[in-house]
Amino acid sequence: MAALTIENIKKSYGSTEVLKGIDIAIDKGEFLVLIGPSGCGKSTMMNSIAGLESVSEGRILIGGEDVTHANPKDRDIAMVFQSYALYPNMTVHGNISFGLEVRKMPKDQREIQVAKVAKLLQLEHLLERKPAQLSGGQRQRVAMGRAIAREPKIYLFDEPLSNLDAKLRVEMRAEIKKLHQRLGTTIVYVTHDQVEAMTLADRIAVMKEGILQQLASPQEIYDRPANLFVAGFMGSPPMNFIRATLTSEDHLTITTASDSLQLPLINGCISQQYIGKEVILGIRPEMITEPLEHKSDAAFTQVVSLKVLLKEAMGADTIVQAQFAETELRCRINPTYSAPLDQHCDFMFDMSKAVFFDPETELLI
Amino acid sequence: MITHQKRSLSQIVMRLGLYSILAFMALIYLAPLFVMLINSLKDVEEIRTGSLLALPQNPSFAAWSKAWGSACTGSTCEGIAPFFLNSFKIVIPAVIISTLLGALNGYVIAMWRFKGSELFFALLLFGCFIPFQVVLLPMAMTLGWLGLASSASGLILVHVIYGLAFTTLFFRNYYVGLPRELISAAKIDGAGFFLIFWRIVLPLSPPIIVVTVIWQFTQVWNDFLFGVVFSGADNLPVTVALNNLVNTSFGGKEYNVDMAAALLAALPTILVYVFAGKYFVRGLSAGAVKGA
Repeated sequence: MAALTIENIKKSYGSTEVLKGIDIAIDKGEFLVLIGPSGCGKSTMMNSIAGLESVSEGRILIGGEDVTHANPKDRDIAMVFQSYALYPNMTVHGNISFGLEVRKMPKDQREIQVAKVAKLLQLEHLLERKPAQLSGGQRQRVAMGRAIAREPKIYLFDEPLSNLDAKLRVEMRAEIKKLHQRLGTTIVYVTHDQVEAMTLADRIAVMKEGILQQLASPQEIYDRPANLFVAGFMGSPPMNFIRATLTSEDHLTITTASDSLQLPLINGCISQQYIGKEVILGIRPEMITEPLEHKSDAAFTQVVSLKVLLKEAMGADTIVQAQFAETELRCRINPTYSAPLDQHCDFMFDMSKAVFFDPETELLI
Repeated sequence: MITHQKRSLSQIVMRLGLYSILAFMALIYLAPLFVMLINSLKDVEEIRTGSLLALPQNPSFAAWSKAWGSACTGSTCEGIAPFFLNSFKIVIPAVIISTLLGALNGYVIAMWRFKGSELFFALLLFGCFIPFQVVLLPMAMTLGWLGLASSASGLILVHVIYGLAFTTLFFRNYYVGLPRELISAAKIDGAGFFLIFWRIVLPLSPPIIVVTVIWQFTQVWNDFLFGVVFSGADNLPVTVALNNLVNTSFGGKEYNVDMAAALLAALPTILVYVFAGKYFVRGLSAGAVKGA
């Protein structure tokens, strides 16, 4: 049975439709990440699941029970907010035990529960402090402790790491992942950070303008994005898009004003019906590299000379922006490869993971 | 480290100018208080023959004790002491009730928005700008219907109603500064409307409570018009008694007693401000600085 089922949820404020019919079902213990640009409706969606906002249409089921119109307190959920929303007048202990107290848990059990959570999150020495006396990371942990203490069916995380500095964010990300693995809880996590989405999620739901674009595992989303939007949104630096014509079953031609270039295709990776038609080729930066010895004989590679426009050293590798026909391509090369600015250098296209989109519908072919 | 720098001459002159203006303004504001104080310590003869600004030659508190205990206010001659008690009987419940209701109203308007709550708030604000005189007649009729005419309870009700517009405004403005997520978190934790108010919102409110209490205390204590119209003969507040005292004279006017009585009547509001004034200023600027 699904832990959380969202059926055709719609939400509008006046005439503005924020959610336009979303369907998602997640299993018990699953980690779902909702991601999308600002204003895509992911926070509205989260608030609807929590019961903080009502939906205009559709149903929400938690553990098989219809909670569409239930109060937040009757949904058996816990939420970690972006601002943590710790009660400033209460100690850490008070913050963690408040929800238990409200739910009439006896005092001795409450103490056991608080102690357990404090130990799990290493908050024992902070229990008597007020939130104002804590650092950002500590507040974050208290907010998580407050959620964990109640042992709800579903945890909702609303951009919980966005107020932390970069280093702490990486640490807390790992901590959330570990916590999920240890407790086996069902989590819905909203973020706009795609690294968080990729690293944490069992499945990612990519949203745009109130419509679910794709719901799939991180790898699936990365390798087989459902449409141009998902392809461009997920991955950093983003995927390269090139307009091309499919000339035969194993070749693709890119025609420019002055030139034309052929790239190899893996046989059968694209349907016959597109032969002779225009498609959009999507290729990730790491698939355009310096010429690699061990791949040079492969049928799906092709070496092309490109003009180097810009280099960004990332340490492990270097991102190069290169001129290709009318477009600029991002390539990921080894920092030791010599690619002087404003000069033509050889780059190897690896077409084994190339994807194609229909220019009309923008959908994956 | 603050390094001491030599100020230029023009800076010193500017500073001196600034301080003399401030001192002058303070003097103007304090002058009436000073005049009242020194003249309340003189006897009537000295006031009549000497200058109003001269210091008393034989300071005595005779006028103060007369004002407190034996001066005539209309037909009775018991000083203003009994009316002090009347005032407190009216002020304390009126302040507590209007502050609590204002907190509850502000909480609803700021955090439990309903359809039309903004309009409701806007209409409520009208209450802040309606002159006292306008509501006298309808209020008198209402109190009559309620059977509260000429009673302390009636006067308390009037002050509560009139004060609500202000107290609601204060609390609402303070509460819109509190993060909404705090309420969401408490809702998810399972707390209801009153529990959230009692356990989360009210404990965060002391700064604005102090502001509201000072404001309401001053307003209700200093009120004359409602007191004279609605209180009835048995519950006259001290402001009305002061007026009666000043207007009751046998033979010559006892300026020293008048002034002592006026100072006595003003004392509670002055004391409230002296003791809670710094919270008042802090509360008014609350929310201006984050994380306080």
